[in-house]
Amino acid sequence: MILKFVFMVFFFFTHPWVAATGEIPVQRAAVTGEIVGSGGQKFPIAVSPLKNLASPTTDSARLSTGIADAMVHDLELSGWFRVLDRSAYIENAQNSGITLGTFDFKDWSTIGAEGLVKGGFSVQGDDITVELRLFDVYQNKERIGKRYSGRVRDFRRIAHKFVDEIINQFTGIPGIFNTRIAYVSNSGGRFKEIYLSHLDGNEKFQVTDNHTINLSPDWSPDGRSILYSSFKDRSQTLYLFELSSGKETKFTPRGGGRYLGGKFSPDGQTIVATLESGGNTNLYLLDRSGNVIRRLTEERGIEVSPAWSPDGKQIVYVSDRSGSPQLYILDLQGGKSRRLTYSGSYNTSPEWSPKGDRIVYTGRVGNRFAIFTISADGGEPRKLTSESSDSEDPTWSPDGRFIAFSSNRAGRYHLYVMQAGGDNQRRLTGSGGDDTKPNWSPRLAD
Amino acid sequence: MNTEFRMACYIFMASIALMVGACAPTATGKPDIASSTGASGARSPGGDQLAGEGQRGKTGESDADASSLKRLQEGKSSATAASSPLKDVFFEFDRYDLTSDGRATLRANADWLKSNSSARVEIEGHCDERGTNEYNLALGAKRAQAAREFLSTLGIGADRLSTISYGEEIPVCKELNESCWKQNRRARFVIIQGRSTS
Repeated sequence: MILKFVFMVFFFFTHPWVAATGEIPVQRAAVTGEIVGSGGQKFPIAVSPLKNLASPTTDSARLSTGIADAMVHDLELSGWFRVLDRSAYIENAQNSGITLGTFDFKDWSTIGAEGLVKGGFSVQGDDITVELRLFDVYQNKERIGKRYSGRVRDFRRIAHKFVDEIINQFTGIPGIFNTRIAYVSNSGGRFKEIYLSHLDGNEKFQVTDNHTINLSPDWSPDGRSILYSSFKDRSQTLYLFELSSGKETKFTPRGGGRYLGGKFSPDGQTIVATLESGGNTNLYLLDRSGNVIRRLTEERGIEVSPAWSPDGKQIVYVSDRSGSPQLYILDLQGGKSRRLTYSGSYNTSPEWSPKGDRIVYTGRVGNRFAIFTISADGGEPRKLTSESSDSEDPTWSPDGRFIAFSSNRAGRYHLYVMQAGGDNQRRLTGSGGDDTKPNWSPRLAD
Repeated sequence: MNTEFRMACYIFMASIALMVGACAPTATGKPDIASSTGASGARSPGGDQLAGEGQRGKTGESDADASSLKRLQEGKSSATAASSPLKDVFFEFDRYDLTSDGRATLRANADWLKSNSSARVEIEGHCDERGTNEYNLALGAKRAQAAREFLSTLGIGADRLSTISYGEEIPVCKELNESCWKQNRRARFVIIQGRSTS
C-alpha cells in the first residue's frame, strides 16, 4: 500500500488524471534522486524475454520474445514507461531464475532499470501456462506475481492482461490493453470495410466484406457485437453484427428513410440513431432490434453524430441550427438541448469521456481539422493535435485516459493513440490504406 | 474504338430504344481505379463500358446513368457523363443552399424532365472530403433535397424525384485542394427509369 502510494506520487503526481485519488502528492527524494518534471520522466522498465520452463519446442523462441514484445508494445504505447532495449540486457533469460533470489538485481540496476518484468512459460499441446512477475529493482522486491493459462494462440492476451495489472499497480486503475479497436479501412482500395484489431495490430478480424461503403462501427458495451452503417443493400442503414455467431440484424428505417449511424447506450439496452428522411436528419432512440422507441429531436436541419454520457442520461450531438455545425447536449429526461461549443465554425464527432467530465471532438481550424476536448459543462476548449494536418474521429479508451483517432499527418489516414491531455501521440499498425473512424471496445472479458 | 465495341453500342441502343445519342463512342466508363474481382455486375476486360446492367435493361439503367454506388462497385468514375442531359449542381463548402448557377442548371434539367415526362430521377447528394463522414452524409442529403424542392417548384412532380446521400464517400477526385473539392460538392441526377425520346 505504501509502496504503491510512493510509486504513484513520485512518478505521476504531475498527471492529474492519475493522481486524482485524493492523496496529497509528496516528494520522496531519496529513491533515485531524479526530478519528475511536467510531461513526466518516463518510468524505466526492463522486460525480459520469458524463460521456457518445459522442453524446447519449435515455438519456444517465438513465445519467449513474443510475449515480451507484446508487453513492451503496450508499455510504450501508454506513454508512461521507457522500456530499456533488450540488446542491453546482461543476463541470459533461459539460464536465469524468474523468482526472488534466483537472479541478480544488479544485472538490471546496472542498465538503469527501476522496474523489471520477468517470467516463464510452458506449453502443453495447444495450451500454455505463463507466470509473470513485476519486480522493484531498487527495493529488490516482487510487486505483482500472476499465473495465466490459455491457448497458445492467445499468448498476446496474457501479455495485455499483465500490463493492465502493472498499470493498476502504479495508478490504481487497470490498463486498457485487453481491448480492441473497431475501424474502417479501404485497405488501399476503393471499398470501405469494418475491421477489428488489438492496439498492436494483431488479431485482426474483418467484420464486413461486401464491397461497398461501410461506416461508423460501434461496439456494444458487452463487447459482443458491432453496430455499423452500410450501403450494402443500396439504401444506407444500420446493421448489428454478433461476433461469436456471425448473426446480423438489419435495422429497417420507417418511412423509407435511412440510418446514417448509431451508438449503443452505456447499459446496452438502447441505441441512439441518426435517421435521414426527406433531407432532414434527426435523432431517434431505438431498441436492440432497431424498433423506434421515440424520436429525440424535431429539427429541420442537420442533427447527427450522437454520443452518450457515461450515465446514460444525456446525449451530445451535432446540430447546424445556429448556422454552422456545433455541439449540443440533450437531456433525455427533460428533452431540452443546450449548446456546448461556441468557439470555432465547425465542430463535430463528439465522444463523451467514460469519466464523465470532458467531451472530445473534431473542430475545424483554418482548412484543417484538429481534436479538442471541452468540459461537459462548457467553457474553453483545449486543442490536442496540430492543425498542420487533419486529425479526426476521436474515441475514448474505456478508462478515459487515452484517445484514439485518425490522422493523415503521415500521408494516408492512419490510426493514432494519445494520452487524454494530448501527450505521446503514437501511430497504430493499420490495414495499409486509409484507416478511419476508430471505435474503442470496452474491456474485454477473459 | 474498335468495331466490336461500336457494334455492341448499336445493339445496346436498339435494345433500349430510348437513347438520345447518349451512347457515344467516347462516353465515360474508363475505370479510374484498377478493377478488382468480386464486384457485382458483369464486366468484360479492358473496361468495356457496356457489359453492365444497362444491356440487360433490368432496371432501365444505361451505363451512363448508373448510380455512383454502382459505379464504385464496378471500379468506374462517378463523374457525370458529358453527354448526360442532366447536369450536376454545385455547392459552396458546408452549404446546401442553391447558387444562381445551381438554379440555372436546375431550370435546364427541369426543361429536359418536362420533355421526357416518364423519366424518373434519383438525385444524389455528395460532399468534399473535409469534415466527418456522418455530417457529410447529412449535408449531402440536404443538397439533394434542395435540388429536389427547387425542381418541384418548377413543376416537376415530386413522385418522379427520389434522393440519396453519399456524403464524402464516392468522390470524383481525391486531391486535397479546392479545385477538386468543389467538383465533389454536388448534386448528381441519375436517370433511373423510363427515358423517352423527345
